[in-house]
Amino acid sequence: MAARARSARQQQIEQLLLAPINWIEERSGLVSATKRFLFRKVPRDVSWAQTLGSATLTAFLVQLATGVILAMYYRPDPATAYASIQHITNDLTWGWLVRGMHRWGASVFIILMFLHLGRVFLFGAYRYPRELNWLIGVLILVLSLLEGFTGYLLPWDQTSYWATVVGININGTAPILGPFIADFLKGGAEIGTETLARFYSLHMLLIPGGLIALIGLHLYLVTRLGVVSPPWSKEAAGRERDEVETRKRGLVEPRPRGNANRNGSDQA
Amino acid sequence: MSTSRKREEFARYKADVKNEGKSFFPYAVFHDAVMSLVVVGVIIGLASIWYFTSGEEPGDAGILGPRYTDEADPSSIGFVPRPDWYFFFLFYLLRIFKWPESVILGTVGIPTIALVLLLAVPFIDRGRERRLLRRPVAVVASLLVIASLGILTWKGATAKEGAIGAEAAIPGWIERGNLVEGAEGVIATDPALAGVSPEQAGQLVLEGAELFAQSACLDCHLFQGAGSENLGAPDLTEEGLRGRGVQWQIDHLRDPQSTTPGSLMPSFGSLSEEQLRALSVFLESAR
Repeated sequence: MAARARSARQQQIEQLLLAPINWIEERSGLVSATKRFLFRKVPRDVSWAQTLGSATLTAFLVQLATGVILAMYYRPDPATAYASIQHITNDLTWGWLVRGMHRWGASVFIILMFLHLGRVFLFGAYRYPRELNWLIGVLILVLSLLEGFTGYLLPWDQTSYWATVVGININGTAPILGPFIADFLKGGAEIGTETLARFYSLHMLLIPGGLIALIGLHLYLVTRLGVVSPPWSKEAAGRERDEVETRKRGLVEPRPRGNANRNGSDQA
Repeated sequence: MSTSRKREEFARYKADVKNEGKSFFPYAVFHDAVMSLVVVGVIIGLASIWYFTSGEEPGDAGILGPRYTDEADPSSIGFVPRPDWYFFFLFYLLRIFKWPESVILGTVGIPTIALVLLLAVPFIDRGRERRLLRRPVAVVASLLVIASLGILTWKGATAKEGAIGAEAAIPGWIERGNLVEGAEGVIATDPALAGVSPEQAGQLVLEGAELFAQSACLDCHLFQGAGSENLGAPDLTEEGLRGRGVQWQIDHLRDPQSTTPGSLMPSFGSLSEEQLRALSVFLESAR
């Protein structure tokens, strides 16, 4: 009797604890979606080489977090920008760490992205049905380089200023659109207040917004399509079977209705 | 490979993952978490080395460079245009391609071609073979790309700017290039210098040469073998032979893109009228 009473109370407590989770699940399906994401199957030979993507994501999250903090103290105006950078680096508690992590995190982010790209290329992971995700990845790379270009001006020191002068002139050499882009970036006859404000806005609103959207799409497709096994794996998912093994699994037996229900019957 | 074969193979992949695969959590997540910790650790390490080996003074560089250089000064002229390291390969491409014929190849052409090729990878390589030894073209192509990006980045990183100590070379320039005589010829013929007496030739050339040496011109241009070749800038040793005239030189220095559309050169409009004239006479006398 006692045991059953306790279990009834236990059930009550359990229900109480689960109530908010069930409430969310009933109205959004987010809980089961998270479960499906976490407990989805990946090929069993997936290993360290396939961590470069998530490592890149980590570096990006570091950039987001440190960038938000920097934006609280940075002043995007030529009169005060340089002084605010000095203040962040030298005076602010842990300011050096936040700025240092943002500065060096950018380099780490770019390096990891290139390594991830190389891994995907060498694994042949851009092939059907993952072509679209390759294209999205290349767009992420381009946006990230633009993020680096726009961020480089913000400290407003000689190095960043003159590199940007030349960078904008390089933009101007592009045929047709080039001069317009250069004029838009400058926002005036000289690189000054308008330019800095534009670069700041692009660097912390437009480009990161685009990056977050594209990275979200990238991850959605990774989850939907799955990651490939290493090409050297003996037990790669989707490998060709030799005759004996295939026969054993019944995959070469003729199907009663041709290929008509190919999509359904294979996985049954 | 036919579409139906591709679909079959992907269906087989899905079935294999379902039947033989492991759960993303915790197995793959463990690897990802360890790797992420390493990444954050490396970033914090780099930030610490950068900060603790450098000083508060502008330009006081430690192992990983200074915290900042001097405050941006649009009117200063002794600068070194240098991008962040991951643009060094583009920066160095502009040493290979020269103004005016081919610089657009370096600024737009090659980067665009590279981007289009990168986007086209899945549509160029449509086979199903993934083992590296059976994909010689892909492997060789990727090795070539890695090597050329590496070399260009390295060359860009170690590229020397030519400005330092250039003033010492001025007497040599004037003597070797016969610049005073050249300037007398310019004064005699150039309509922009009407009213300037030939006696001023020596002084104008000297003043122009000093400005030339101090204004970071040699960061990008060559002159009598000194300086460097950045951003596609032309060799100025025989600039006077191009027949531009002093007024053209002044206009060009003030707003390079007005006389040379598409030039990468920054404006030197912060120089005074007299300084621009002296610099132009110096350039025109080099023949």
